[in-house]
Formats: sequence, structure tokens, C-alpha cells
Amino acid sequence: MESNKEIKLGFEKQSMLKKPLRSKKEKSLVMNNRLFLFVIPALLIFSAFWIWPFLKLFTFSVTDFNGFNQNYNHVGLSNYQSIFKSGILTTSIKNTLIYTVLLVVLGNILALILAMALNSKIKGMGFYRSAAYIPALFSAIVIGFIWSYVYMPQSGMIPSIMNMLGLDGSNFNILGDYKNALYGITVVDIWKNIGQTMIIYLAGLQMIDDSLLESASMDGCNSFQLIRYIKLPLLAPSITINIILSVINGLKAFDYPFIMTNGGPGDSTNTLMFSIYKMAFTEQQFGKAAAFSVVSFIVIIIITALLLVVMNKKESEME
Amino acid sequence: MKGKYEKVAIHSGIIVFLLVTLAPLAIALSTSFKQPGDTSSPLKMFTEFSFESYKTAFFTMNFGTSFLNSLITTFGSVFIIVILASMAAYPLARMRGKLSKFLYILFIAGLVIPGQMVVIPIAQVFDTLNIPSNRFTPMIMFITCSIPFSVFLYTGFMKTVPVEIEESAYLDGANLFTRFFKIVFPLLSPATVSVVITQGIWIWNDYFYPLIFVSKQAEMSLPVTMLNFLGDKENPAQWSVLFAACILCAIPLIIAFALLQKHFVSGISSGAVKG
Repeated sequence: MESNKEIKLGFEKQSMLKKPLRSKKEKSLVMNNRLFLFVIPALLIFSAFWIWPFLKLFTFSVTDFNGFNQNYNHVGLSNYQSIFKSGILTTSIKNTLIYTVLLVVLGNILALILAMALNSKIKGMGFYRSAAYIPALFSAIVIGFIWSYVYMPQSGMIPSIMNMLGLDGSNFNILGDYKNALYGITVVDIWKNIGQTMIIYLAGLQMIDDSLLESASMDGCNSFQLIRYIKLPLLAPSITINIILSVINGLKAFDYPFIMTNGGPGDSTNTLMFSIYKMAFTEQQFGKAAAFSVVSFIVIIIITALLLVVMNKKESEME
Repeated sequence: MKGKYEKVAIHSGIIVFLLVTLAPLAIALSTSFKQPGDTSSPLKMFTEFSFESYKTAFFTMNFGTSFLNSLITTFGSVFIIVILASMAAYPLARMRGKLSKFLYILFIAGLVIPGQMVVIPIAQVFDTLNIPSNRFTPMIMFITCSIPFSVFLYTGFMKTVPVEIEESAYLDGANLFTRFFKIVFPLLSPATVSVVITQGIWIWNDYFYPLIFVSKQAEMSLPVTMLNFLGDKENPAQWSVLFAACILCAIPLIIAFALLQKHFVSGISSGAVKG
């Protein structure tokens, strides 16, 4: 056995010496199927507590299960029918889409501008960067409380400042306003995420070679052209990841409707996830919530798939 | 290189931006130092330095216990995630075949499922498996929810670790487990920092799973105890206590950030750049 092993090893050593730079496609002797043992613990946990519960949604969506009582009946597709009839689905989809688009567009533009400003080689930048990141460290629940004060009618921060500036702040009530409440909570989410988005852009900007920018400006590029033709294309990977992260964030929006508005006024801040929560926990109609989840999941998958296709295309165009 | 005026413009632009964005936090901080019941406008900043509101908030949120609960669940979950996710990423990065591709996509797909959807079926799985509801129960969900992102990160990073290092270790007689834990894992430290920081911040701040799975006051984590102050939101007389609680809840992470700033920045950005 011993000598056998030696021969084998000797053989491999030789082959390695012969071809030190072998192609990646070739199979390595070290990498055999036993490696898959390593995936088992994570896979077990992931299947038991994520995949399996997710699949159960489909079976619950055709029942009148209330979340607790195990004696439930099959009700066919009536949950789906009532969702589509009640209009809550369209409202939630619309709200979630507005929220996501604002989060992606405004959040990324602001963070990108901030990152470009913070990328200048000027004294004090380290301090500014840390300060800009601070909101990202706060729990959504804390941020919800602080912004409830900011938005509060009469004595909140914004009406008080409006009064100080001689504007009439007594009518300010963004969270009580059916038309604007959704924008109010979206601003909070943008505010919270800007620091993290900025850090990712900053890391991308710092990878850009200074000499490239210098030679371009010597060739007569102005600042705008530097940004448009050099910085943005080189930032493509950071832009991709930030947009994907913001889209996922937006589609999962739950925190601020839950903490700040309770979905209201009316259903004006009902996002997909908040509607599901409300159906399952407040109204105790888990069957309906499960049907709603299935539909929401399809919506999320379609948007994510479209996004990935567009992103792949864009990124390869820019390269 | 840059003109003097340009520098001044950048400085002032950043300062104005920070003043506007950080104003709510500054006001919360200054109000937290006022006496409970003080109804003076929060915009009159830093007029008082009293720790009375902190005292009230400290006892209402049961700070000592809930801080400890947060600490245990966060560190415990992150520790397990690092081990599970790095192990899971090993075959996904090294093996080229349909199975490893399928598993990779399966894990990543988990990213788009929001917790609100699946939490009731999860509660049922806990029931079936006789998993009790206590301070450790949310850890199961933290670990599960962190798997997709962490596996994604580790897999991307592991592909940059040359196979040749392992091959020479193999020739020196190292078995599979020694090779992974003694040779590959230490080389993954940038990815580990990234997982620890990003998932640590999320777990520390999450209130959803503890809210659903923990019922006893003494077993709650810091963000959930904030819900004790829900009634104070509408009452200006209680704002000093509410904001003191907000600051108490946020301060541990801010201190961690101050001490480990470099790791925070590289942790957040390296994950994104590598991915």
C-alpha cells in the first residue's frame, strides 16, 4: 500500500512538474466528490427552515388555515380569487414598485454623488466618510422612532423648522396624507441606506487608477467627461451590485410601513410584505396570506429576472 | 492638483449634506439628555445634561439582560454562519459540474424570499421538530437567512484561492478536513470579515424574528425592547426617554464601528467588489 501511494504521488508530482500551468477545465486529483460532504450542514438547515417552509406556502394557499388551528379546510382557489377581487394586490404591487424605483434611482444617484465628493484627496475625508455611514448602523426600529418625530405634525422636526423659517408648518403631516405617506417612508429608507451604498461606490472609485484619470485630463477631458467616459464605465460592477441590493431591499420593504404608518392612511403604504404580515398576523387569515405570498413571489421573481437580464446586457455593453 | 475654490466647494457641500442628514440623529441625542417630561422644543439643542431619561430608559428596556441576549445571539449566529457557509462554499467553488451549479443557484435563490412570507410555516416546522421558543430560537432564522449571501460571498472569494496550494498540501499528506480548515479557511479571511460585519450588523439590528419567536420579556434582544416605547412616539413629554432608549440601542454598534472602522469599511465593500 505504502509504495503504491508513493508511486501515485510520484506520478502526480511529475505531471505537475510537466504542466505547471494546466488549463482550468482539467480535473484536479485533489478535488473529488467527497468535497460535497462540506455542503451538507448548510443544506440541511437551509432546506428545513427555508425551502420546505416556502414550499408549504403553496399547499396553505388553498386552505382556510388561520395560522394556529390545525383543523382547516381546503377551499380551492377562493383565496386567490378574493385577493384579485379586493384590489389589495394591485395597491400593494403599485406601492412596492414606487418604493423600489425611488429607492434605486434616488438612493443610488445621491450615494454616487456623495462617494465622488468623498473620494477627493482632501483633509478630513476620513471623518466625513464615517459620519456619512452612521445612519446605516441604526436598527430600522430606532430609525422608525426617530423619523416619526421628524415627521410628526405640529411639534415634529420638520414643522418646527418650517415655523422657524417663517413658513406655515401647521399643515405639514406627510404620514397622514394619503398621497404622500409612501414618499415619506421611502425617504427614510433612502436615508438609512445611503451610507452603505456610498461605501460600495467609494471602494469602486478607489480602484480606478489615478494615472488613467491624469492622462485623460491631460488629453483635454473635463470633469464631466472624466465622470461620463471613465469613472462610470469603470464603476459598472459597483453600480450593478448596488442596484441589485437596492431592488431586493425595495421589494422586501416592510420595516417602515410596520413601524411608522401601519400601512396607512388607508392602504397607501401597504407594501407586498406588509400586506402579507397584516393578513397573517392581524387578520389571522394565513391561507389568504399564503396565496398572497405565492403571487408576490411570482412578481418578485419576474422583476429580479428582468433586472438580471438588463444588468448583464448593460454591463457587457459598457465593457 | 485641485484649485482652492474647488476644495472649499467640496468641503462645504459635504458639510451641508451631513448637517441635513445627521440632524435627526443630533436632535435625538440632545433630547435624550433632557429630563423626562421636559416639553421644551427638541430643536433647542444641548441645553441640559441630565441622565434621568437614560435611567428610565435603561430600566424600561431591561438593558443589561437584553444587551446580553443581543450579544449572545449575534456572536453565536455569526460564528455558526462563518463555519457553515465557508464549508458549503468549498465544493461550490471547487467542483465543476451540474450538482454544484444547482446547489449554488438554490442557495442564491433564497435571497429573494422575504422572511414575512415564510414565518408561519417556519413556526410549524419548529413545532414539528419540537424546537422550543426561547432567546436562542431566532438564531436558527438568523443563520438560515444569512446562508444565501454568505455562501455567495465565500464562493466568489474561494475561486480566487489557487488550487495548487491545496495540491501541495495533499502531497504532504494533509487530508480533506485539515486542508480545508488549516489551509483554505485562513486564506478566506477577507470574506470572513465581510460576512461577520454585514451579517453581524443585520442580526444585531433585526427585530422581526425575535418579535415572532420570543415571548418572554427577559429573553428579548435590544431592538425588540424598543417596542416598549411605542406609546411614547406620539407624546412629546416622553421623547427624552424614547430617544435615550434609541441611543442605548444603537450605541454598542457605534462603539464597535469606532473601534473596528477599517474592518467595517473593507467588510462592506469587499463583498460587493468581489461579487
